[in-house]
Amino acid sequence: MSEPILKVENLKTQFFTEEGTVRAVDGISFEVNEGELVGLVGESGAGKSVATSSIMRLVEDPGEIVGGTVTYKGKKLIDFEEGPDGELRRSSEMLSNEQMRKQIRGKEIAIIFQDPMEALNPVFKVGAQLREFIEINRDVSGKEAKRIAVDMLREVGIPEPEKRYDSYPHQFSGGMRQRVIIAMALACEPDLIIADEPTTALDVTVEGQILDLVDELQQKYDTSFVWVTHDLGVVAEICDRVNVMYLGEIIEQADVDDLFHKTRHPYTEALLDSIPRPDQSVDELNPIKGVMPEAINPPSGCRFHTRCPDARTVCREVHPAYQDVSDPGEARHMVSCVKYENVGYDDAEPLETEATGAFGGGLVEARGDGQ
Amino acid sequence: MGRLRYTISRLLQAVPVIVGVITITFFLTDAIPGDPVQIMLGPSPSAQQAAAIRAKFGLDRPLYVRYFSYLASVVQLDLGTSIYYQVPVTQKIMERLPVTMYLLLASFTFALVTAVPLGIVSAQRRNEPTDHISRVVALFGVSTPSFWIGLMLIIIFSFWLGWLPSTNIVLPWTGPANVGGASNQLEVIIKSLQHLIMPMITLGTLQMAAFTRIERSSMLEVLGEEYVKLARAYGVSESKIVRKHAFRNAQLPLITLVGLQLTSALGGAVLTETVFSINGMGRLIITAVQNQDYQLIMGTTLVFGLVFVIGVIITDLSYAYVDPRVSFDGSE
Repeated sequence: MSEPILKVENLKTQFFTEEGTVRAVDGISFEVNEGELVGLVGESGAGKSVATSSIMRLVEDPGEIVGGTVTYKGKKLIDFEEGPDGELRRSSEMLSNEQMRKQIRGKEIAIIFQDPMEALNPVFKVGAQLREFIEINRDVSGKEAKRIAVDMLREVGIPEPEKRYDSYPHQFSGGMRQRVIIAMALACEPDLIIADEPTTALDVTVEGQILDLVDELQQKYDTSFVWVTHDLGVVAEICDRVNVMYLGEIIEQADVDDLFHKTRHPYTEALLDSIPRPDQSVDELNPIKGVMPEAINPPSGCRFHTRCPDARTVCREVHPAYQDVSDPGEARHMVSCVKYENVGYDDAEPLETEATGAFGGGLVEARGDGQ
Repeated sequence: MGRLRYTISRLLQAVPVIVGVITITFFLTDAIPGDPVQIMLGPSPSAQQAAAIRAKFGLDRPLYVRYFSYLASVVQLDLGTSIYYQVPVTQKIMERLPVTMYLLLASFTFALVTAVPLGIVSAQRRNEPTDHISRVVALFGVSTPSFWIGLMLIIIFSFWLGWLPSTNIVLPWTGPANVGGASNQLEVIIKSLQHLIMPMITLGTLQMAAFTRIERSSMLEVLGEEYVKLARAYGVSESKIVRKHAFRNAQLPLITLVGLQLTSALGGAVLTETVFSINGMGRLIITAVQNQDYQLIMGTTLVFGLVFVIGVIITDLSYAYVDPRVSFDGSE
């Protein structure tokens, strides 16, 4: 396989607040290959959105990217090197803010936001907004940009695009607005689109339509996607590969089928278990126990151990390595869990956690399939 | 189009408001303790004289008759005759209103021209020295009484430095013959500006401060909106984001405030005109009240009410022109 078009290595973004440093993204690594649709999944607060805005270098104060490398088609969007004083500093290869704005944003990587109701400017006509972004990111005349805009509106399924070009955002429904946002992203002809929970704010039928649309357009234009979501149903439907995030870290990464059928990490398993099924009543739902701890002071060892049904004492002490656990001949399957490391998980005492409820609860459920 | 319909409906809505203003003013004026006839004729007038005066100004008729006849004459743009000046109220108002409008317009222009850039820069450089300075200026402006600013300006620029005249105002369109020391229109305009500077700052400082604060906060809010983030994510430059994407949205709260500040500015004009001995509406209304000049009180109050109503209508209309959501109803 050729070089991935986006390569994120050990990316770290922190927020310097009065209460302390929030390690919102704490050393994540993943890749996106050409034409691939990669999912980034996790609960609210896992750091998914911060991760995507870090890639675009759009993190706002008091947030700051503090380490890691992001390579896009050979260009260093983020790159750090050790200075003479031993402190990390931006390397000379890292793109400047101006280069980032002129060469990357919109032109190479486009973004789709979560809430279509807020993402369009209420005082400008939809067409004019679309046209402005096309003019900025493609070398075309104003007239040509308008033609592209109208074509793109038609492409994403807006009826009577010539007429709707002159409408204001408030004259569109939520689903229609999200189509406009998708049209914006595609019209700039980027090679990568980052979709930050693009269907979360929409109702289910509209969500289905949008997913079908993206699927269809993705195949037509062969655009790569990073798809951020908390919804595993969406992941199953459209993603090729999935990264599961928990508290600023990626804890499992696999092809979508492997993730669902050969789940390795207890957190992913819990996430899958928590999806409501039609045969369940409310009482039978199986949500993940407890709430995600604050990223300001994450738990020691494995960050998930406070809520993990399989937790043992060693989980509290050892930070698990992120490693490949695939069987020979299989696609890469990365996971970070001490169960798959030789650090004494099998001999350790079970740990009382929010998930096990009482002492010993974890022992019954633990599968103990460590190496 | 929606905007035209909106404009017409807004104008029609103003009619009952104005009738309300006339009615309330009329009955309140009548309820003021004291008798205008007594003020005119001194402490012990003869009954005959008093009756003659009453008959002359129609004060001998019952209240409701006077009310309806007043309404009828207002419709014909007749506001009656001033008891104190002995001339038609409309004549007095036409003489004074341009002066006050000139002063108001100048001070609002001054306030907006300084406040909008100051507020935007403040928002862009949040918590930097520029921001702190502009916030201190705004705080000073909001918390300083306008007459004090006026007096200080007079002491410094007229009394000590002798740079600017401390009294009166010259309208820039007055003929050179009527202005002492001016031989052509250009000199009249220069003189007019010299006279204008201090009253303008006196009246405009409070507005400026209020506008700066609202501009800063609304700009900050808009710069955090999703559509601004989206523009950033599509490579729009920061200066274009401020100039185009954020600017119009950020002006909405300011427009509302400009309309509301019109009342306080009319009040401020009374003080400013007094401090600088300017013969405008403010001093006219004071004269009217001091002399219990019924017709003049009603006339001037009605004009102040009209100015305010027109201000509010202009506010609403500009709102509709800036924000399409106001004039176009219903989404599809």
